[in-house]
Amino acid sequence: MISIHTIIKPSTLQFRPKRPSRKPPKTLAPIHALLQYNRKPQLAGDTPRVVVITSGKGGVGKTTTTANIGISLARLGFSAVAIDADVGLRNLDLLLGLENRVNYTVVEVLNGDCRLDQALVRDKQWSNFELLCISKPRSKLPLGFGGKALIWLVDALKNREEGPPDFILIDCPAGIDAGFITAITPANEAVLVTTPDITSLRDADRVTGLLECDGIRDIKMIVNRVRTDMIKGEDMMSVLDVQEMLGLPLLGVIPEDTEVIRSTNRGYPLVLNKPPALAGLAFEQAAWRLVEQDSMKAVMMEEEPKKRGFFSFFGG
Amino acid sequence: MASIAAVPVRSPSFLPLCFLFLIWNFSHSLTKLRNFRNGLQFWPELGLDCTCKYSNGRVTYRKFVVKAMESDVDSGLRNDAVVIKSSEKDYAERQQKLHQNIVAKLHESVGSLPVFAFPIGKLSGMNFTIGLCIVATMLVVVVKGYAAKGSSDRRPGSVADLVRRGQLRSDRRGISTPLKYEDPFNNPMVKVSKSNSTVEMCGKVYRLAPVTLTDELQTVHQKRRSRAYQWKRPTVFLKEGDPIPSDVDPDTVRWIPANHPFATTASDIDEGLAQTNVYQKHGVPFRIQAEHEALQRKLEALQNDQKLGKLVIDPASARDFERPLKSHMKSENQVEHNISTPKSGSSASPSDHPSGNKPLPEELQNP
Repeated sequence: MISIHTIIKPSTLQFRPKRPSRKPPKTLAPIHALLQYNRKPQLAGDTPRVVVITSGKGGVGKTTTTANIGISLARLGFSAVAIDADVGLRNLDLLLGLENRVNYTVVEVLNGDCRLDQALVRDKQWSNFELLCISKPRSKLPLGFGGKALIWLVDALKNREEGPPDFILIDCPAGIDAGFITAITPANEAVLVTTPDITSLRDADRVTGLLECDGIRDIKMIVNRVRTDMIKGEDMMSVLDVQEMLGLPLLGVIPEDTEVIRSTNRGYPLVLNKPPALAGLAFEQAAWRLVEQDSMKAVMMEEEPKKRGFFSFFGG
Repeated sequence: MASIAAVPVRSPSFLPLCFLFLIWNFSHSLTKLRNFRNGLQFWPELGLDCTCKYSNGRVTYRKFVVKAMESDVDSGLRNDAVVIKSSEKDYAERQQKLHQNIVAKLHESVGSLPVFAFPIGKLSGMNFTIGLCIVATMLVVVVKGYAAKGSSDRRPGSVADLVRRGQLRSDRRGISTPLKYEDPFNNPMVKVSKSNSTVEMCGKVYRLAPVTLTDELQTVHQKRRSRAYQWKRPTVFLKEGDPIPSDVDPDTVRWIPANHPFATTASDIDEGLAQTNVYQKHGVPFRIQAEHEALQRKLEALQNDQKLGKLVIDPASARDFERPLKSHMKSENQVEHNISTPKSGSSASPSDHPSGNKPLPEELQNP
C-alpha cells in the first residue's frame, strides 16, 4: 500500500472526503496532499537527531529500512551516519555494499587501535553518508559497556571537526536483550518497524513499552511488507488496523516488493533503482517525513478497478 | 471491403488511392460494356457459336451456327440470329464488334488480376465511400504519429542531436524531455480522479483513507503500555552464580549466561582510557603509540646489551677475581690485614691482591 502524500501538480490539493463519517473526530485535520519533489525538506528538531530503528521481532526489515532511509537522507542533502549496533551479527554493510571496506570497528576504537574517523566508512557515491560498525563477528564486548561506548561515540560525532551529522541512525538488533539496551541508550527518537501480522505486532507493542520506559517518547511506526491484494481480500490486517492496535503515528507504509531481495543481493539500496521501485518510493517518502517530523495523514486502500467504457480505447 | 483490407497501406502516399480510382473507373466502364455485351450473350445461350476473327481490318466472315432448341418454335424462330455476311456497307458494325473483342479481351485480363481487384470492381458507390473513409482515417493516424515526434527531432542540427549523441545529459537540461522516473510524483501512469479521492496506479485503483489516530487515543495507548510493561534499565551485569551486591536494585541486575558466545562481563578495558580513545581526533591511536614505544624501548635495551657484549676483559686482571684455594687461607688473612691498612693508592701487584676479597667490577657482576 503506497501512501500518496504527494499526488500531482505543484499546487496544494486538499482531499476532503465527500461523505464524512458519522462521528467525525473533532481534532482531525483535513487531508493535505502536497507535491514535495520540487523542494528540499526542512529539517526539524535539534541536530544531530539520533534515531534508533528497532522492531523487537527479527526479519521485519530493520536493516533494510536503515540502509534505504540513510541513503535517502544523503540524497536529500543531509549528512547521515548509520551505526550497526548488532554486536554479534553484522548486516548493514552488506546491504550498502561496503563489506569489503570495513577495516576498523568501534571495538578497535575503544582499544586504541584506530581513531574514530578511521573507523567511519564513507560511501563513494554519497559522500555525506558514513557507516560505523560496532564490532566484527566473533569479537566480544563487555556488556553494560556498550551503552556507554555509544554515548561517547555520539558525543564524539557531535564534536568532530567537520561538524556534527544531521542524522545518526542506529540499527538495533532483534530482541530486547543487551544489544537492544545498548542500541537505544543514546537515542532521542525511535522508528518502529513492523509487519501486519499478529506476532510482529505483539513484539512491537512490547518494544514500544520498553522505549517509553527508557524515556524515548517520539516513536513512529513503519509498516513493512504490505500486500494490498491480501488486505483487499481480508487475509491481512490493514494499516489502519495496525495503527489502531499500536496507537503510533505512521511514518511510512512499504509495499511488498521483490526488488528488496535483488537490491540486497547486489548490495545496492533500493532507493537508488532507476526506474524507482514502489518500495523505494515509499522509503523516500518515509525519509521525507522523518526529516520534517511529520506523519502520514492518509493511507491508500485498494479497490476494485473501474470498468472501462467503450471509448476508453481513445483515452477516455 | 476485404480487398481494401488486404491492401497494405504503409506510407501516406496517394498511389493506392489513385490505383483505386483507376480501377473504379475501369470497372464502371466495364459495367457499361457488360450491359452491351449482355445483348450479345443470348447468342451463345441460344446455342449459337460465334467465332470472330479480326485481322488488320480485313473483311472477315462470321459464321453463326444455328442449333435447334427445345423451345417454342415460334419464339425460337423470332429470336433466331441472322447470319450476316459482312460487306463493305456494314463497316460500322464491324468496328463495333472490334471494340467488343477488345472489351472481351480486357475483361479477361481484368479477370486474371488478383482477387482484390474483383471486389473493388464490384463495389457500389456507397461501399467505396466507406472504404475511402477508412483509408482517410489511417492516413490521419499516420500523420499524427509524425506530428507527435516533434519538429525538433526532424530539424537537423538541433540540441536534441547533441542529447542523442550523448554530448549533453538530458536529465540536466531544462528544454529536453525530462526522465519520467526523476519525477515520480508526476508520473503519467498515475491518474488521479477529480470526482472522488481515488488514484489509478499500475493498473490498480486505490482510495485515500484518512488516518483516524488522535492524540487522545495515543495517550490511552501510552498509559496501557506503562501499566503493562514495567522495566528498568539494567546497570549491573553479573554472571550466573555471582552474588548481588547489597546496594544494587535487583531490577537493574542483568544475568548473563556463562556460555553466551558474544557476551562477557569482564571489563578488560580501562573506561577512562577507552573514552579518551573515542574522543581522539588527531595523531596516532593510543595502542599503536604504546606498542610503538614498547618496541622502541626493547630495541634500545637490545642495543645496550650488545654494547656490553662487545667489551674486552683483561685476562691478567681476571685472575684477581678468581677464588683462592683453602690452603692459602693464611696468606689471605695476611693479605686482608694488609688491605685493611690505608691504601697507598698505587695499584698493587696481582699477587698481593687475592681475588676473593676485592669487589668485582660491575661488568663481571652482572652477566
